[in-house]
Amino acid sequence: MTAGVHGRPIPTARRRTLPAALLLVGLVVAVGLLAVSFGPVRIPVPTVWAIILNRLISGLIEPDWPPTLATIVLDVRLPRVILAGLVGSALAAAGATYQGLFRNPLADPYILGVASGAALGASLAIVALPPTPLPVSPVPALAFTGAVLAVAAVYLLGRVDHRLPTTTLILAGVAVGSFLSALNTYVMILGGNRIVQVIAWLLGGFTGATWFQVTLMLPYLLAGLLVLIAFGYRLNVLQLEDEEARQLGVDVDRLRLLLAVGGALITAAAVAVSGIIGFVGLVVPHLVRLVFGPNYRTLLPLTALAGAGFMVLADLAARTLLSPVEVPVGVVTAFVGGPFFLFLLQRRKREVF
Amino acid sequence: MFYRGLPLRAFGRRVRGFWLLLILLLAACAPPQGAPAPQPPSPPAPAFPATVTDDDGQTVTIEREPQRLITLAPSNTEIVYALGIGDRLVAVSDYSDYPPEAAAKPEVGYIRVDIERVIAYNPDLILATGAHRQQVTPQLRQRGLKVITLDPKNIDHLFDNILLVGRATGQTAAAEKLVADLKARVQQIEAKVRQAKTRPRVFFELDKSLFTVGPGSFIHDMIVRAGGENIAGDADRPYPQLSLEVLLQRDPEVIIITDIGPYGGETPESVRARPGWQTISAVKNDRIVPINPDLVNRPGPRIVDGFEAIARALHPEVFS
Repeated sequence: MTAGVHGRPIPTARRRTLPAALLLVGLVVAVGLLAVSFGPVRIPVPTVWAIILNRLISGLIEPDWPPTLATIVLDVRLPRVILAGLVGSALAAAGATYQGLFRNPLADPYILGVASGAALGASLAIVALPPTPLPVSPVPALAFTGAVLAVAAVYLLGRVDHRLPTTTLILAGVAVGSFLSALNTYVMILGGNRIVQVIAWLLGGFTGATWFQVTLMLPYLLAGLLVLIAFGYRLNVLQLEDEEARQLGVDVDRLRLLLAVGGALITAAAVAVSGIIGFVGLVVPHLVRLVFGPNYRTLLPLTALAGAGFMVLADLAARTLLSPVEVPVGVVTAFVGGPFFLFLLQRRKREVF
Repeated sequence: MFYRGLPLRAFGRRVRGFWLLLILLLAACAPPQGAPAPQPPSPPAPAFPATVTDDDGQTVTIEREPQRLITLAPSNTEIVYALGIGDRLVAVSDYSDYPPEAAAKPEVGYIRVDIERVIAYNPDLILATGAHRQQVTPQLRQRGLKVITLDPKNIDHLFDNILLVGRATGQTAAAEKLVADLKARVQQIEAKVRQAKTRPRVFFELDKSLFTVGPGSFIHDMIVRAGGENIAGDADRPYPQLSLEVLLQRDPEVIIITDIGPYGGETPESVRARPGWQTISAVKNDRIVPINPDLVNRPGPRIVDGFEAIARALHPEVFS
């Protein structure tokens, strides 16, 4: 028998998991269809799908729509919905992994310094590099590099001999994060007028999402998710004391490194294309845990799925609520996620925690 | 914070017409002359002490002609230089880079102001903006320093501000001449705009994440006066972020970019290359116009250059 977040036995979740999981898949697909069908520009839903079908199988339908509408659906809305889904999936899966890894319900994808590293990289790209009219912005590349370097620093500082204790890892993450945040603030002050661009990046969101960003993000997400799902079930064993886990034949330190790197990779890729979006990585894993139970074998894939649905829905709200003006998606995720999380917690806390 | 907005300009009160009213009141209160005999024109009243009311609604009395000025915004620096008394500036705000000699002056900060340093320069007049209303201006006033807040909301308000600075610094004649010249140029531009037969839809890009201008902003006001239709004219705030879908649907005929060069590195070519933008009329018809943001963001005398640049971008045919 494996143990839950606080060492209590996991309720036998298997029995009810499959139908609920199928329901979740259906829900996420429905959210995706909804998000593509609606946006700040009102396009009749049949037209939206005619445009998409016509793109998939060219010549299927005689176009009776202005080309602008096709551009809106295919080049603006579709990549935006898909990117939001990928980022939501990455942040939620990374959050679930770190919560298990650190046995800490407050862990989120940014706990190892990914956000502050990425922010510093992005600020440097915006402030220090001469602005070039390149078709490819250097910002995502530097943000990604910053995130990876930050996590590497946290790993080196948090390592004790050949062990990787969670406490030192968390402390190293907090210390490196604070230090990089301070550096970032300094860079922003030096940036003068360009501070506006830095703030716009830090706020995060999917305004101006492109297919290029989707292709940039996809390989990292697939590789990272594969690692997390393939090895994540062993997080169940990591809920035990390290000694017990070792006795069960788990190489605790190697597993931690693997999962920490996998989570950092997908978080870095997400942050590089969308900036820093809070709350998804913290709340979605808990929502899924409250509904499906804390078994990491099912928790990780379901969290990745639910994160995608949650983010797509939040972004739909972000771009339609105050149309033609946008709301930062991070505001939506906090505004909706917070109360919903508390509601579920009130109902289920005695049962699960 | 529930929405995005750029902290470019705060709110303010208008003082337009205040001076006209004051003059009329003073005239009405003047004691009747004993003899109605024609008199030679009275010598000009001494300029000081001068009492002015600024955009904070504060009445400031200046005893002697100020000789040690500090500006807290680049726009105010430009006003002081345009009045011909740039040499009286003992310090200026950060980013005060126009005219070029202003860049050599010591700096005291901009939105965040180094109060200690301001006091150390012992200024006899400080020109602040609405952005300093919460943190900076009260602190300076508490220490007995003379502060005048300029917070213009449109071009006419700016002209009043220039006259105000003129009176406060003893440069009334120079201010009146400057404003008369600027007004004449605005009228020339507006006369040309009236010849234009079109009213093109325009997207004004502050930043490539599609921050733009809406009603209540200086730039929106200039776009309307320059005979353009701002595609974000229905936004509920001065500096909204537009969604790309809406931008494509509203199909601007002109795109003005100010995130150019050191301000963001965008060019007409880079805008043209953005995915999905090829259906926009402005892109198809090659009407993407870069404008130096300092000309439109800084409410100083160069705003008329910015106004002309916008008008030219919208109606190149009447400016040929």
